[in-house]
Amino acid sequence: MSNLWLIMLLAVPLIGSVVTMILQPEAARKWALFVSIATFLVSCMIALQLSEALMNGGTAPEYAGEEIAGIGASFHLGIDSISMCLVLLTTFLTPLAIAASFTAVTERTREYYAWMLALLVVMLGVFIARDLLLFYVFFELTLVPMFFIIGIWGGPERRYAAGKFFLFTFAGGVFTLAATIYLGSKAGTFDIDTVVKVAQTQLAPEARWWILLGLLAGFAVKIPLFPVHTWLPLAHTEAPTAGSVILAGVLLKLGTYGLLRLALPIGLVAADGGVAGNVVALIHFLGALCIIGIIYGALVAWVQQDIKKLVAYSSVSHLGFCILGMLAFNDIGMQGSVLYMINHGLSTGAMFLVIGMVYERFHTRDINKLSGLAKKMPIFAFFFVFFTLASIGLPGLNGFWSEFLTILGAFTSEHLGIGYGVLAATGVVLGAVYMLHMVARVIFGPLKFPGDEHDTTHHAHPEPHGISGDLNHREIGILAPLALAVVLLGVYPNLIVGPIRGPLEHIMNVRTQKSIGIAAAPPHTSHQESL
Amino acid sequence: MISLFPVLWPELLLVLTASALFLLGLSRSPQARQSAPILAAGALGCVFFGVLMSDQTGALHDTVSSSPTFYIFHFALYIKLIVSAVGVLLVLLAWPVGEDATGNAALEFGHDAGEFFGLMLLSIAGVFLVAGANDIILLFLGIELASIPTYIMVSISRPLPVAQEAGVKYFFLGAMSAALMLFGFSYLYGTTGLTKLDAITHLFAAQNGMSAWQMLAVIFLMAGFAFKIAAVPLHVYAGDVYQGAATPVTAFLAFVPKTSGMVAIIKILYAITGGTWAAPDALFKLFWVLAILTMSFGNVLALLQFNIKRVLAYSSVAHTGYMLVGITTILAAGHHPEIQAEALAGVLFYLAAYGIMNIGAFGVLQMLPAHHSIHSSHPLPPTGGAAETFDDIAGQGYDHIALGLAMAVCCFSLTGIPFTVGFLGKYLLVKPAWEIAQTTSHVALSSKMGWLVVILMVNAAVSAAYYLRIVASMFLRHPERKAPAAARPAGAALLSTPAAWGVALSVAGTLAFFLYIPAANDLSARARLATQIQQKADMPQIISASAD
Repeated sequence: MSNLWLIMLLAVPLIGSVVTMILQPEAARKWALFVSIATFLVSCMIALQLSEALMNGGTAPEYAGEEIAGIGASFHLGIDSISMCLVLLTTFLTPLAIAASFTAVTERTREYYAWMLALLVVMLGVFIARDLLLFYVFFELTLVPMFFIIGIWGGPERRYAAGKFFLFTFAGGVFTLAATIYLGSKAGTFDIDTVVKVAQTQLAPEARWWILLGLLAGFAVKIPLFPVHTWLPLAHTEAPTAGSVILAGVLLKLGTYGLLRLALPIGLVAADGGVAGNVVALIHFLGALCIIGIIYGALVAWVQQDIKKLVAYSSVSHLGFCILGMLAFNDIGMQGSVLYMINHGLSTGAMFLVIGMVYERFHTRDINKLSGLAKKMPIFAFFFVFFTLASIGLPGLNGFWSEFLTILGAFTSEHLGIGYGVLAATGVVLGAVYMLHMVARVIFGPLKFPGDEHDTTHHAHPEPHGISGDLNHREIGILAPLALAVVLLGVYPNLIVGPIRGPLEHIMNVRTQKSIGIAAAPPHTSHQESL
Repeated sequence: MISLFPVLWPELLLVLTASALFLLGLSRSPQARQSAPILAAGALGCVFFGVLMSDQTGALHDTVSSSPTFYIFHFALYIKLIVSAVGVLLVLLAWPVGEDATGNAALEFGHDAGEFFGLMLLSIAGVFLVAGANDIILLFLGIELASIPTYIMVSISRPLPVAQEAGVKYFFLGAMSAALMLFGFSYLYGTTGLTKLDAITHLFAAQNGMSAWQMLAVIFLMAGFAFKIAAVPLHVYAGDVYQGAATPVTAFLAFVPKTSGMVAIIKILYAITGGTWAAPDALFKLFWVLAILTMSFGNVLALLQFNIKRVLAYSSVAHTGYMLVGITTILAAGHHPEIQAEALAGVLFYLAAYGIMNIGAFGVLQMLPAHHSIHSSHPLPPTGGAAETFDDIAGQGYDHIALGLAMAVCCFSLTGIPFTVGFLGKYLLVKPAWEIAQTTSHVALSSKMGWLVVILMVNAAVSAAYYLRIVASMFLRHPERKAPAAARPAGAALLSTPAAWGVALSVAGTLAFFLYIPAANDLSARARLATQIQQKADMPQIISASAD
């Protein structure tokens, strides 16, 4: 069955991107915003179809293109609830990121918005590809637009940051490609479902282990796991605001999504459910890396002077939770992990937006130079504190559930156990420490604007072309939807946790009575008992 | 003689046009001299479309022996097709235009243009001969016909001492490689008593294994060919020669002699394995080591350069290494004709892919003016006006956005980023290598192929560093000295030159294989067909026909 909405999801931003190049700079940004909102609407349309299919037992939207002769790959798109959540996250964040660039990007605007829309296409492509090679094509193509976005519109160290970002990710990605081709030639096709089945049933344990390493190489860099995370703080700090938002919000999720969708079922899951025997040691190794990432990221974030760098290191810490939940390999952990992907995208994306707004006003992000902003900018302070609390995991906001579920998953896991849970929980405490430390100094305390150290009562020097004063309507309009989403997922996480159960069980190969025939399985509409 | 024309018309056409061009170069009329590149491109275009349309196979018998001297089968047709297509692009790149437009004073209509294009056609005709030769003497002559004109082309390409130096270096080393090659051919003849390749193939098929002397012959032959394809350790000339020659000639060197060497390697390996590709283990190991060394040294050396032409020179060494991975795979495939065919098709596809994407990179480099040439107060700078170093191209992506994007596409393709022909090429090389690792029962062979793929991938990652540096220089840097707008060549003037058309075609080709899937299918199907080097079933018939 071919569903043209999936094609439209890619075609709308793609055509939009091409058209952007021929518009006037002023028109280009409006057009880009329009296109990204249209893409969001298309994704909502698909979400409706998907939920209807889940309710009524229909088939999920899918588009199967012809197989390319001589290669074995095909243009096969499909969607399930996990993909859907991430697609919605992507299409939701992109218009906000574009709107946030209106005043921040003043040079080469046409090219900028064209790259942003191109980035949107390839990110969506990763989430809806159902062909392994197509997945890789989109996965690797994300590098090109991001390279230019960081490298052209970034901060002072942008060239180095862009190069490091590209080379790290590409170097990891080539091993994923090697593994991909191996799987494709073994299975005779690149269809993900078939490949997974072949990997679980026909691959020798040793070969599987190597394949898993190959896949991990690409995803671990993208996530990023502890020893290969060094590109991330730099790229985040140097990228323009919108670039950081997309980078933190969506690009990192490509790694976690790949891990969940491919590396886990291909490398870790045994054909009869559970974990394949020879990878338990690897799970412990990865779990240890996650723990190191959680604690190390938090400690390094604590000592940062640059707010953006602080949030960047907090991403290293947060993504550790996300992967830990996945490695726990039980329902709770996996659900928490997927929920974490969404929540981290929302709250960290929002943090970068807020920081970008600070930077546009004061041209600094130095904690030591900013102080007491709440006195002059109350609305700004509200959002700043709000998203900080969401990021820390205040109950009632979205971050709480995902941290709770991933840690609970680690505690109850057959493989990880209490030690991992305890250590991860210390990460939560550290997270509160560094975030509140930063908020206390920037938002509260004596009022201090940069360049204004002596006269604290005086208003900040208005920049000739910059923005001054509290948040304007556009900025509030950008942050308000995010805040709503944060609250919504905080009070009703089942919005995501409910629908993703089926696909997660499919990935984990759980063959219980109720989960046979996943696509047609009705969703669990009841509230989750464990909550 | 009757069968001469249908079989040999491409070579004849090229050689006749070349002769006409040599005469034309003497003409006093500038208009007449200006028609030289038109004639050259026309001849190559005719060959391209002729081969594309006809798909005619055939053989040319001589009067002395029964086996044919030429054997034009799918393999030779494919080589002719891709070399003539890339040849047209090369002519476009070398098209002489006023210095003002491209800042490239490489060639002027005042001198040498006729001879230059004549030499170009002769060299391409040489590759054609190699592809069709069924006689080791003719094979050698073909390789030399492909090589000797390039020595002259390097020297006359620009009036600078570096070009002369490059030409002399290239000539002496090339002559030595020819000597090695001849030595190998003489041993091959001495041990078999045959010069016809199909007869040699037949002999090796009948004989069990290979004698030590025959192995020695093969080693010498491979050493000679390794020079042509710039494989480590015979790559040392690449940097100096590629840098010294004018950029269009460098593009030529990176493709045409390499193709002749690669074709010769394939043909000789086919013959000495008796048409089965089942080579002795030693030969497999030789190519395994050769491939790894070539990829790794090429990439590491490229990483260390400041001059982009040297970067592309060493990257060309690395790409040779990737193709050698394919050759290694063919030899490892043992008794899996399916995988052998796939691997050979991979090599042939990669040859075409490399030709297409490389032209774009060199073409952009040649069209970008160097920063010092912008300041008109300087006399002719040592590089001849075209950009060569990373500093030269800094920030030029903004002044010439089309050229910048073209360079980006070509560099990403050379890196192997998806959506380009380079990605497809790497894919088609890696897949058969994995298939061997999966099907073989030898653990050692399986792990050897596995490591080969892993090393190829590591090299692809290393290569990303320097290709990215080219893109980053163009887009992420600002020119050190900004020239006044009036002194900069106008973008429109740059884009109307034939070289711009060459670049545009190359970029279109680089992307077309993903945007237009039938194109990729067609080329890979042709490459697949081209794995039939000879009509195997007919071989005994040819010999029996002689008995009649």
